[in-house]
Amino acid sequence: MSVRLAFLVDSALCIGCATCGMACKNQYHQEEGVVWRQIYPLSEEIYPHRDRAFYSLACNHCDNPVCLTGCPARAFEQRADGIVVHKPESCIGCRNCVRACPFGAPVYNPAARKVGKCSLCHERIDESLPPACVLGCPTGALRLVDLNTFDASTTVAAPPGFPGREDIGPSTRFKPPRQPVLVRRTA
Amino acid sequence: MTMDERTDFFEQMLAKGVSRRGFLKGLAAAGVLAALPGGVLQAAQAAGPEPFGPTVFLGKDAYQTFRNACPRNCYDTCGIVSHVKEGVLHYVEGAPESGFTQGGLCVKGYSYPRTVYSPDRIKYPMRQVERGSGNWQRISWDDALDTISRKFLDIKETDGSMLGLGLTKYSGNFGITHYGVEGMLASLGYTTRFVGTPCWPAGIDAQNYDMGDMWCNDPEDMASSRYIIIWGANPAYCSVHSMKYIYEAQRRGAKVVVIDPVFTQTAAKADEFWEVKPGADGALALGMARHLIDSGLVDTDWVQQNSIGYGDFEAYLKREVTPEWAAEQAGLPVEAVKRVAEEFATAKPATIWIGYGMQRHVNGGQNVRAVDALVALTGNVGRPGGGARYGHLYTWGFNYHAYSQSPPEGSVGFVGETGPKGEFDPDAGSEAQTYTDRAFNINRIAQEILDASEPPVRALWIANKNVVSQDFDRAKILKAFAKVDLIVTVDLFFNQTVEQSDIVLPTVTPFEDWTVNVSYWHYWLHLNEQAIAPMFEAKSDIEIAAMLSTRMNALEPGSCTFPTDVDPKEWMAKEFNDGIHSLFGIDSWEDLRQGSRKATLASPAAWNDLGFKTPSGKYEFVSQAAAENGHPALPTHLPGRESYAPMRLLTPHHKYGLHSQFQNLDWMLDYSSEPFVYVNPVAAKAKGIVDGDWVRVFNKVGEEKVRARVTGNVPADTLLMYEAWFGAKNAYNVNRLVDDESSDMGKYKTGAPGVAIHDQFADIEKATA
Repeated sequence: MSVRLAFLVDSALCIGCATCGMACKNQYHQEEGVVWRQIYPLSEEIYPHRDRAFYSLACNHCDNPVCLTGCPARAFEQRADGIVVHKPESCIGCRNCVRACPFGAPVYNPAARKVGKCSLCHERIDESLPPACVLGCPTGALRLVDLNTFDASTTVAAPPGFPGREDIGPSTRFKPPRQPVLVRRTA
Repeated sequence: MTMDERTDFFEQMLAKGVSRRGFLKGLAAAGVLAALPGGVLQAAQAAGPEPFGPTVFLGKDAYQTFRNACPRNCYDTCGIVSHVKEGVLHYVEGAPESGFTQGGLCVKGYSYPRTVYSPDRIKYPMRQVERGSGNWQRISWDDALDTISRKFLDIKETDGSMLGLGLTKYSGNFGITHYGVEGMLASLGYTTRFVGTPCWPAGIDAQNYDMGDMWCNDPEDMASSRYIIIWGANPAYCSVHSMKYIYEAQRRGAKVVVIDPVFTQTAAKADEFWEVKPGADGALALGMARHLIDSGLVDTDWVQQNSIGYGDFEAYLKREVTPEWAAEQAGLPVEAVKRVAEEFATAKPATIWIGYGMQRHVNGGQNVRAVDALVALTGNVGRPGGGARYGHLYTWGFNYHAYSQSPPEGSVGFVGETGPKGEFDPDAGSEAQTYTDRAFNINRIAQEILDASEPPVRALWIANKNVVSQDFDRAKILKAFAKVDLIVTVDLFFNQTVEQSDIVLPTVTPFEDWTVNVSYWHYWLHLNEQAIAPMFEAKSDIEIAAMLSTRMNALEPGSCTFPTDVDPKEWMAKEFNDGIHSLFGIDSWEDLRQGSRKATLASPAAWNDLGFKTPSGKYEFVSQAAAENGHPALPTHLPGRESYAPMRLLTPHHKYGLHSQFQNLDWMLDYSSEPFVYVNPVAAKAKGIVDGDWVRVFNKVGEEKVRARVTGNVPADTLLMYEAWFGAKNAYNVNRLVDDESSDMGKYKTGAPGVAIHDQFADIEKATA
């Protein structure tokens, strides 16, 4: 049976610490301003407290990756396990993928004049190591799952604030944040 | 997901036939590195760490690994596995065998490769032509040490002692060999020491009065707590690896209550959040205790067997405290106060994590005593999953070889009252000598220098400390610095203290040095190996001491006793002893190359044998030692500081830095680009401030211009600014707004009272453009 790898973002556990994002920089040394994994605070319409609930997002390794279909240089390939791999040696820096991706996953690197994006650490996965961000997450809020076997009943594919885009099929799955009982000051 | 679960996941994947080496085999080595400019290898050439470019994971076997430790004064003090290829640090990971970190680090720890290869690092000794001018000239180590040595000898000739030389050092690197800085000063004679700690002293004294020492349960045992109150701590920012134990307790059915002046990230993960009035923590705890007496929920067996003075405490509470009064003091509804008190008392084991924030008040030590009392009278002290958790020094029993240096023969020093030189002082309690160092309060560095005479502070050595960023009343610090002839700072970056120094000496990152590290929270021990050669002309603290000694003795033989030839690896090894070996189950430090070790504990609970180190051997609700030191004998209510401006100002820790470290890195700026003052929407509206506006925050101490971030996370009467140093291009500094008012306790065990960092007040207005 094949596997379909995906990120699980559990906002109930996520503390927005950005460890995942820095773990990515630590592994790949993106230049200043180039960020492959970003930690997005949820707007107050979605979670009533500012900067207190987050989605940690990188590439969603979609079922129908628009970066891949729109690339004139064939710089993207999708593996059997779902990982969408960008090959910098083929990239011509045209940024078609940057414009096409509704999630902002491919990022242009002006220094290299090429695009880069989350590779789901496929080199690490091929050596049975977790992706750098997943290994780094101190709370288990960011996990790697196999969508073919994962019990998705408590997760959603299109939570508030995240474009579901069934046509593209982003593989990331989400659990919503929780709220505590508030006892505010009376005077 | 634990490490085991992660591994299992990959085992399952492999069983399903996922290719170990996908179709991209060979891409990394052959393609990417060759194709992209500015690969990391360039950084290795000591010509200069150019901003390094993209790289990829080259395979498990492509790297040499070394053991390191993050030494930046953090609860989590993580063990690190450094991955090095051809002398270049490529990436870091957490020590996989550490149950506390489970292979991970934090946002700060993962930025270390950038610290090492940052183009902003101080590369050579340099002299500033005029302080604050930025006119730096490269000088040789010989030149630097000659200038410094001549000044030191001049001090001795002028004053007849070395007391005109001051040292201020704290927690920039808690590696044990870094106490060689104190050793260096001792080897020169009796000097002036800025003693105490800005961090946690009031609470240390409080726990010593109550229990005879500061000692906390293993944080990993929070998973077994049935009820957790996190009081004035924000582990989601400041101890991210503790969060999983709190989550595990919740998963098992425990309730988590966060008590804090602001709605922190930790509060957002709790079951219940209480927005307490700052400084009213003690009153609140006393009110809860009174309610437990009224409800018959005091653990009278525990109290009778294990404490003294409970009768007096109960009489005080019945006389002076009601839940209604406490609720009013704290600004909270009395029903909630009573309900949580009952829940806490009936859910054994129940624990309170006492944060350091709570004791940064004029009544901070007394507040901690009141909270301790609440834990004790519910019988939760000494119990796994229970405890009044604050911190510990249980694992710090090293030799302090680097620290322990002797003054040159015939040295003249200070005569008078003396005490411990900080919480880690290994000589505390030893016999008084004829002469001692002159002890000044580390938290009032500016006032102490301004007041000093006979002799004045003529030269200042600053290491492991960013005084101008982190010490209190910045304007006064600059005035005090003007009185000092020579200021020498040892550091990694051109921070705000270096800006005000005459000479700067470049030091090493942990990856370029040997030392050993433990935590004041968890019970793990980490080796720190030299993983890469020191960058540029950087030296460790003890190498600098040896070089200084060489120069001093060349100019005046016998003027410095510090060994002139030190090997950092040997000196690391000299810190180990049988006690450490046995506590951690190792034969020698070399065993730590296989991985970090955890102390073998009879129980995860501190005070598990209920043998307290107080004079009575019991938990002391009435402390004679407290009374003798001028405090109430009982944990009574002590009012907070009178307000001196319209709004409360809080300046706690952010998640992107450890004091003034890490936030300056360009990698960190990608996630946190600028500082803010956080303002409640009601307050913002009243002041005509819109989100993102530039505002002026001001009080009697000074002012700071910063952009406003409007949020209900802070109460309407409170302003919040995270302490941080955003790099040389940003002058942001919260200590323009924080004075040096002392907290009540700290002198007993650390040599100086703490500082009331959170008893500050300010006003805010829209800034004119």
